[in-house]
Amino acid sequence: MQESVIMKIHYGTALGAVVLVAIHILFRMTQNFSESLQYESVIANYHFLPYAIMLELILILLSVHGFNGLRVILIELKQGVGYEKAVNYGCIAGIAVLVAYGSRTILMAGFGM
Amino acid sequence: MERQSNREGIKGWLNPGRYGLERVAYWLMRLTGLGLLVYFIAHVFETSSIVNGKEAWQKMLELTQTTEGHIILTIVIGMCVFHTANGIRVMLGQGGVGVGKPGRPDYPYKPASLNSRHKLCILASIGLAALAMMYGLAVLFGE
Repeated sequence: MQESVIMKIHYGTALGAVVLVAIHILFRMTQNFSESLQYESVIANYHFLPYAIMLELILILLSVHGFNGLRVILIELKQGVGYEKAVNYGCIAGIAVLVAYGSRTILMAGFGM
Repeated sequence: MERQSNREGIKGWLNPGRYGLERVAYWLMRLTGLGLLVYFIAHVFETSSIVNGKEAWQKMLELTQTTEGHIILTIVIGMCVFHTANGIRVMLGQGGVGVGKPGRPDYPYKPASLNSRHKLCILASIGLAALAMMYGLAVLFGE
């Protein structure tokens, strides 16, 4: 993929994440902060489908943005065909693992498994 | 051989003094980005304890809802606000907003893109991050 396309994805995921994370934080503000972290309150959030979908979107957007940012930093520090390939595949693997692990939590908490 | 010696690696990356405020912003952007990635991974991991039931969740809360946990969260709030505000500045700059008009390079060769508007935005990003951290401290320790 062209680097210019990757940077557009980087900026797109950033803007999307800013909006969704703001909503995610505002959900904590709907009640007292420590109350909002109580087990029943958090489980109720996961059971609310639009919120669960939003969490999944945040997970994907931030994973892509975060690991692409890490990739950019690592490639700025050192270059080389083998090294860049390892960084690229390492970051893709990082995204896949984090999205899979986070999705597992959202699904299990959402469906009460 | 000479090219090799010019490679400063992480030392060059961490030197904020040589190129002014823009270099500080560059440095802070990367540092906050790495910090936020670490926090995000930890957050995904800590919230996964909810699937193990109420007891596991309470145990995790006991670990994170401490003075140290609140201080870490306050730093995360600051990093998040700076990274967002400065990121928007960088995006606008790359889109050509606020970088000035191209002109003939005359002595003392000041780049038009490194202008007072962008410097002001960097300072505003740092100021916003400080304000958000103060608000975060008030919310977290005010209960």
